Formats: sequence, structure tokens, C-alpha cells
Amino acid sequence: MTEPAGRERPLTVALVGNPNTGKSTLFTALAGIPTRIGNYPGVTVEEKVGRFSHCGRPIDLIDLPGAYSLRAQSPDEQVVSDVLGGRMAGVPRPDCIVAVVDATNLARNLFLASQALELGLPTVVALTLSDVAAERGIGIDVEALARRLGCAVVPVVAPTRVGIEALGDRLLSAPEALPPRPPDLAPHRAAIDGSRPASARDAIARYAWIDTVVAEVVQQAAPPRRRLADTIDRVLTHRVWGTLAFALVMLALFTSIFRLAAPAMDLISAGIDSVSAWAESILPAGPLRSLFVNGVLAGVGGVVVFVPQIALLFLFVATLEGCGYLARAAFLMDRLLAGVGLSGKSFIPLLSSFACAIPGIMAARTIENRRDRLLTILVAPLMSCSARLPVYLLFCGAFVPDIAVGVSWLRLPAVVLVAMYALGVVVAAAVAFVLSRTVFRGPPQPFVMELPGWRWPQPAVVLERVREAAWSFLTNAGTLILAMSIVLWALGSYPKPVFPDAPALAEAERQGEALRQSFLGRAGRVIEPVVKPLGWDWRLGCAALASFPAREVVLGTLGVIYNLGDVDPGEEEGASLLVRRLKAATWDGTTRKVFTLPVALSLMVFFALCAQCASTLVIIGKETGSWVWPVVTFTYMTALAWLAACATFQFGTALGW
Amino acid sequence: MRSLAHVGVGVTVSVVDVPGADPVSLRLLEMGLTPGVNVAVVAAAPLGDPLELELRGYRLSIRRREAALVTVAT
Repeated sequence: MTEPAGRERPLTVALVGNPNTGKSTLFTALAGIPTRIGNYPGVTVEEKVGRFSHCGRPIDLIDLPGAYSLRAQSPDEQVVSDVLGGRMAGVPRPDCIVAVVDATNLARNLFLASQALELGLPTVVALTLSDVAAERGIGIDVEALARRLGCAVVPVVAPTRVGIEALGDRLLSAPEALPPRPPDLAPHRAAIDGSRPASARDAIARYAWIDTVVAEVVQQAAPPRRRLADTIDRVLTHRVWGTLAFALVMLALFTSIFRLAAPAMDLISAGIDSVSAWAESILPAGPLRSLFVNGVLAGVGGVVVFVPQIALLFLFVATLEGCGYLARAAFLMDRLLAGVGLSGKSFIPLLSSFACAIPGIMAARTIENRRDRLLTILVAPLMSCSARLPVYLLFCGAFVPDIAVGVSWLRLPAVVLVAMYALGVVVAAAVAFVLSRTVFRGPPQPFVMELPGWRWPQPAVVLERVREAAWSFLTNAGTLILAMSIVLWALGSYPKPVFPDAPALAEAERQGEALRQSFLGRAGRVIEPVVKPLGWDWRLGCAALASFPAREVVLGTLGVIYNLGDVDPGEEEGASLLVRRLKAATWDGTTRKVFTLPVALSLMVFFALCAQCASTLVIIGKETGSWVWPVVTFTYMTALAWLAACATFQFGTALGW
Repeated sequence: MRSLAHVGVGVTVSVVDVPGADPVSLRLLEMGLTPGVNVAVVAAAPLGDPLELELRGYRLSIRRREAALVTVAT
């Protein structure tokens, strides 16, 4: 008698395959939602495991990253090779391999699959997209293929679960079956010049062997007609129409994260506000209420508010990836970005960063090449995000003279606003250019990218990507961002202020005094010599420091520090009040105005380039798996922001603006 | 013999070899650009680079710099 099924050791099965082969769809069809998502030790390659049971036997399915070869060239491929070889710490050597082979692209998929057959592990080949192959007139003799590979071959159509049960049955019996027969490459290898590297000989011999397999098992019915997919492809990669379609898709993507996310974000803010109001009504005034309302609740709000943008962006990216357009977009933009040392795949993460760097940096997950990915993440925060816009709008409106530039309809404030956006792009290009030729210099990075065929995205896979992105943000980065906002709240609230003539002070003045006496306020005074060359007084330095949790709070902080109390600069009344107060502000003990045109410009330039956003730095740390990169980002961006702001102020003052 | 980088759009050629021993050349071999295989240059991106190739029934995009590593029969 066998043991009761539940007590049996789970069978460990590794899912191996090329990218874009329907591997994720197969994973979802077999295991559903993953039970464990994390990173492999020491690398930022995602570890995804799903537990399911088949006929009562528990199975742990490891979804390995997509790879083209077991001769590892990237961290992803190294993980595949290490896990299959049983060399990955904390991961048991799989009992069995499922080699995913795309039936529409048999030859290239057999390259990796045949390497897997050489590992000596029981192997089952899952022939995915067999429905699409049949539509295209590609007939595959499954039995002949199984004979040639020496292992079971199961045709599957994962979205409709065709073949999924049969695949499960094969997995259970695989460990008892004979190990697969490694392909016989020797005769092919003998025909190749012996002086070439072993891996080159192996690749050429392997394809020669694959050609004999394909010739035996594939019957191409009629020569393929001009399929609809080919027509779509011709239009979407056309010089004019393709570029136009690309612009439209990107416009839709950008508008959706910029505008469509706004109602959800407003709803979250309103929800947090009402919880805050409720908490204020039931908690007695004091440090505990302040901690809960201004520290914890504000922190939670500051985390959750990013979720709509992240979810929308990943909905777009996963859909584009699923239908094959993501690779086309990278193809179209590659030349433009290659010039500064990036690649076409950097485009969507950078574009998204104009709405917010956080989803943008997360979208850089779609860049397989580690160097390109890191470089993209490092320059993404330079794109002017939506949090900078209120700062630009307020200062352009209040301090930039409304005069015409050349033609009557082109006003100077609008030109300055556009210039701020352009500044971020130009500096990002320069930084990427310099970094790719210094710190990240190395062997030329190949841009060898498959352009997958057009197909319908799988809703289950798309939704899983969205859920995973939002969840990993909330659990990994969210908790840290929350902790950081509580620390920053404490720095802005303690030590408690002492009021010499307490009763005489109005509430707004009390708030201002409290901030000035806090650690943050004192730090603002300490750094005054540093911000003076930028034309700032200590209050501005203080506001810049206090905006570290997120740039958008800088206007609110300015309100508090200039004794306006808690005004809402997002509302017209609050904004005009703030503008009047700022215009009236003078240097301590003098009648000299603080805010002049050069000061306003230097402040805007500083905010365009600085890294005053704790959440961005947290997400950089999480996405790169190292706290070195947030430190590097903060340092280089702050240095650039200071230099550029200083140059702006000094130059502007010298010109007598 | 010439390199794949100089093949015009719409032209199909036969690969002679990717003779280099560097990682990029090896990757091109692994992607199926092996001696004797037919490759069609389907398109070039609007800015002239990269190229879109069709080989072994699938589409592959490589930059001209990489295409220069592939020698093809005229």
C-alpha cells in the first residue's frame, strides 16, 4: 500500500523554456497563483514557486526565468543552469523537468530543450501553442518527436487547459520512466573545424541535429499564407504608420497613468483624510495622536496612493508584452536610446517615470540585460514626475514674468515650464552617456531580441502580473516607506518647541515655530551656508530637507515654515495665499526679498534634478537588491541639482534678472 | 562573401558562418544563425537600426553592429 497522499514528499518540478513560449500561461494553468515569490540568493532574479496537487500528490512547480541556452550568459540563465544542476542554495535539485517547447517555433526551442535532455533528469516536453501551430498549417508528429527526444511529449493549449491533466499524469510517472536519451551530437560535431571554441561547435552541431529532427517530425502543410499577423506586423513596423501607432500607444499609456489613476488616487487620499479626521476626533490631542495621524496614517496614505499607477502601468505593460508589442516598441526606439548607452527596452520605464518614478523603476523589470536595467533605474528619477509639476506651476506662475517670447502667444512662464521638463531629459541622457562609458563600461552589450509573433494576451497572466507588482510593492517597499515616513515625522516633530510667550502666538505661528525648532528645522539652519550660493535662505533649505519624504510636500512645508499654518496649496485659495506670503518674505532682519526670479529658477532647477523622494530611493534599493544604488542615486542627483541650481542663481543674478 | 549588416531590406540570404569566438557571436549561433540557414532581412527600424530578421520560422531583432559579425553568401 502506498502512503496517504498528503504525507508524501512533494515532487519538485522545474519549468524550463525560452522567453515568450507561453511558459507563464502554462504555470498558471498548472499551479494557479504562485505560493512563493522572492529572489534567488545574491541575485535579483525572481524565484517563483507554485504548490498544487495532482491525483493527491503535492507538486512544487518552480517557474525558472526564460532562457535561450544553458550556457549561461545572463544572471537569469545562470539561475536556470544552477537550479537544474542542483547548485542553487536553498533549492532542492528538481526531481523532474518540464521543457516548454513552442510548437510554432520548434527549431529554436529545441535548442534549450535538447540541452535540458543532457542533464540526466526525468524530462517531459510540453508542446505549447499547438493550436496556433495547427492554424498556421504546421503539423507536428508528436510520437515521432517523442521518439527522437527519448522522452514524453504532451501537446498543451494552456489557456483552455487542453493537455494539462495529461501533463500532470506524465509528471507523476516521469521519475519512474527511463531517463531521457541525450541527443547524439557527435557525428555533427565531427564535421566542424576543431579549432573553434567548444560552445560554438556545440551550437552548430546542435542545430544540425535539430534540423534532422525538424525534417522528420514537422509537416508544413501549404506555404504559409500572408496571415493577418503579417499584415499587422507590416503596419506596426512601418516607418510612418508604425511610428504613428507607437506614438498613439505610448500616449494612451502615459495618459492612463497620469490621468486615469488620478480619481483612484484622490479616493485614497480622501479615505485617509476621513480616517485622520475620525482619529483626531476620538484621540486626545498629544504626541500619540500626532504619531498616528501625521506619522502612521500619512505614511500609509503615502504608500497606498502609488498602487493605482503601478497597477495601471503593469496592466498596460503586461498586455503589450502578452500581445508581442513590447518587443516591437523596444525595436522602434532602440536607435534613439542606444546613442546614450541605453536600449530600446528602457523607453517605457523612462516614459512612465514622467508620471511617477516608482512604477517606472518597477517597469524596468522587463529589461533582461542587467546593465541596461541598472542604468535605466539610475536615470529614471531625473524625468520630471507629476509631483514636480505643482512646484513648477506655482513658481512659474508667481515669479516668472508673463512676457511674450518672440511671438505673442508664447509666454515666458510656459517656456520655463517646458524647459524644466527638457532639463531632466537632457541631464538623464548625459548621465546615461557618461555612466555607460565609465562605471558601466564593459564588453559591448548585445541587443539580440526575439520579436514574438502577434497573439492575444492571456487575461489570467496579465492580471497575475498586475497583482504581483502591486503586492510586491505593498509588502516589500511599502513597509519600508511607511517606516521611513514615521522617522521623518519624528524628525519634524521633535524636540518639542518651547514658546517663550506661548499664549500670544497664533496657531499658524506655533506650527511654524514647532517646525523651526525640530531636528529638521535645526538641520535647515545648519545647512544654510550650503544653500546660500543657491540664493536660498535657511527656511528654503529647511523646506527642501523636509520635502525628503516626497517632493509634493514641499509647498505644504513652505506654508508651515512661513507661518501660514496648514494651507492646502492644491486649492486656489491656499495657493494664492502661499504666493502672497512668499512674495512678501524677506531675509531675516532685512527688507531684502527672498524670492526673486533667479531664486525661483534655482529652486525649480534644484527640484527638477534632486532625489528628494524617499519612496523612489526605497524602490531603487528593492529593485536592484542593493542599498548601494539608492545611495549612488541620491548622491549624484543631489550634487547635480546643487551645481545646476547654483549656476542658475549665480548666472541669473549676474545678468541682473 | 559579405556581412549581414550590408544586406538590403527584403532580401533573403544564406548564412556562411558567425566566425567570432566572442560572447555575442556565440549567442547569435545559439539563436540559430548557423551555417547554411536562410535569413530574410524583413525590416529596419525607422531610424535605420536595428534590423528585423526572419529565420527558422521566427523573428529576431539585432543591431547592425551584431549583424556585421555574420558572414553571408551573396
